[in-house]
Amino acid sequence: MSWAAVIFFILGVFFALTGHLGLLKAPDVYTRLQTSSTCSTTSVLSILIACMLLSGISPFTGKVAAITIFFIITNPVATHIIARYAWEEGIVPWRRHQ
Amino acid sequence: MTSSFKWAVTRIILTTIYLFAGWLLFTGSTAPRSLLMGAGFSFLIALTTFKLFIDDDEAARRTLLPRVHWLLFYAILVFYKVYVASFQTAFAVLWGKYYPRVVHFRTRLNSDIARSVIAGSITLTPGTITLELTEDHLVVHWLNASTTHSRFAGNIIKGSFEKLLKRVWV
Repeated sequence: MSWAAVIFFILGVFFALTGHLGLLKAPDVYTRLQTSSTCSTTSVLSILIACMLLSGISPFTGKVAAITIFFIITNPVATHIIARYAWEEGIVPWRRHQ
Repeated sequence: MTSSFKWAVTRIILTTIYLFAGWLLFTGSTAPRSLLMGAGFSFLIALTTFKLFIDDDEAARRTLLPRVHWLLFYAILVFYKVYVASFQTAFAVLWGKYYPRVVHFRTRLNSDIARSVIAGSITLTPGTITLELTEDHLVVHWLNASTTHSRFAGNIIKGSFEKLLKRVWV
């Protein structure tokens, strides 16, 4: 069980790093949202799953599960609000010229 | 007893049930005092907010009571897709290879809750963000667009989400 938790912790660190690297490298607001917010979602999700695996079956796991569900519901909504605002403002998405 | 009164009572009862489930989830205790207080406050809040929680014209039975076993299956599918797409996005970021496009497509889901869930799932999956959702029309920003054709893009992005959600809600 603890090995699975270690794997999920490493995944969490990996996605957090790439997410924030993307925030620095990406060209415009939409691609920044893609890389930062959604990769960071996966990283937080991995860390919460690892916490659940470490604590086994206990009331603590239930509480972490409740936090996970709440996080999964609220985070896409926050991302969507930022993206929608940018879209309604008329910001043209960046395109790579091939 | 008019039908609108009956519908209001049904909505109050359903809202109370949902609120009470939330209370149980967060308190995690089965002491009679806590249960009584939770039920009382759930009912009070339901009396004032049932109009917001369940819309007047959302009368289909399936939109109010989802099929829970399909919902669980859907959650597992979303988790799997999130991880697969995260790896793709992570490597696209590391190598700097992304070709973003904006695509438009329609969804066949009818109820409001199913539509908002599919928009949320598309945003949660890395590589795609829902920019706008009006009626059944979705505008999606796609990080690695392989096509801009409306129907094909819709099939790739929605994938099996839509089929499963049709079984959970409508």
